[in-house]
Amino acid sequence: MKRNKFIVIGSGRLGGNIATKMSEAGEDVIVIDATEDSFRKLQESFSGYQVVGDATDMTVLENAYIKQAKTVVLTTDSDNVNIFLAHVCYYIYNVPNIFVRLEDTDKGKLLEGTAIQAIYPFKLSFNEFIELSKEEGEDI
Amino acid sequence: MKIVIAGGKHEADFVIKALKEEHHHLIVINQDRAFAEYISTSNDVPVFPGDPTKGYCLSDAEAQGADVLLALGDSDTDNYITCITAKRLFNIKKTVAKVRNPKNVEIFKKLGVDSVISSTYLLAQTILNESSVEKILKTLSIEDEKIVMIELGVEADFNLVNKRIMDIQFPKNINISCIFRDPHVIIPNGSTIIKPDDKLIIISTPNEQEEIIEFIRKKK
Repeated sequence: MKRNKFIVIGSGRLGGNIATKMSEAGEDVIVIDATEDSFRKLQESFSGYQVVGDATDMTVLENAYIKQAKTVVLTTDSDNVNIFLAHVCYYIYNVPNIFVRLEDTDKGKLLEGTAIQAIYPFKLSFNEFIELSKEEGEDI
Repeated sequence: MKIVIAGGKHEADFVIKALKEEHHHLIVINQDRAFAEYISTSNDVPVFPGDPTKGYCLSDAEAQGADVLLALGDSDTDNYITCITAKRLFNIKKTVAKVRNPKNVEIFKKLGVDSVISSTYLLAQTILNESSVEKILKTLSIEDEKIVMIELGVEADFNLVNKRIMDIQFPKNINISCIFRDPHVIIPNGSTIIKPDDKLIIISTPNEQEEIIEFIRKKK
């Protein structure tokens, strides 16, 4: 079976924009979200599929071609859901590329020993602050 | 035993009462402050108010190295995270998760939760077991209920499997009239050997019916 799907779970600001971007880049994108309204975050240029459903239900995941996923991006608003689904994708469906957004840096410990890659908005914001404050310091 | 009970409402209350009687060391964690207070006063145990999916909460509650953790929260996903955190980061030996979605039973087990409980799943298993009993037993009364015909499925662990009919000490008033061995229909004689998955059609009298069924279904 060919693994050619790019699946985004959680169509918020980040998920929606990643989905749009990858769709523009020619990827076969599928976006899953529990509420239909969330798909508003997708830009007009998005040409993939939208699936309404609870991704923690395996039937929903399988209907969204999880078995053919080469990449899964997890951007729901719950760290627990993101980690659970990352584990499901990694250990059960053997998805080769998994990215997960986590608010709580402590929870990253649950990804140790896997190839799952975490994105921490906290760290990014913090580092950005440090950078910006350095520039500020230089000005003075 | 050192047992952690994380989340849950009435099920937590019930489990705590039962375990307390057996004098286990209980660590109770509950995020719902009002309920935490209720459990604490009604069972006379300390309750840590906090989110058990967070490592620092398990750490504050001194859950490290516990024998068992029960995750009884309302969210399946949260219960999963609690169990996995307990297992990987707190060296808790056995984890048990309650789930609402019966499909999660197999998934959680594959992902490393030791034991997963779903009332719906248990219900389905019970129904399946009940219906398999139905499947191996059908009876039909003929001639004003003076004669009964019993259809009985043979399972691999029955005592009479792989024996010749002539070698089996049957109770009286029994006649195996026919054996259905898919796709064949066999009219048996003394040297016919009974195999697993055979369907026996037995003619008997209503009085002996129970004794015969018991005899056939005797395990090895």
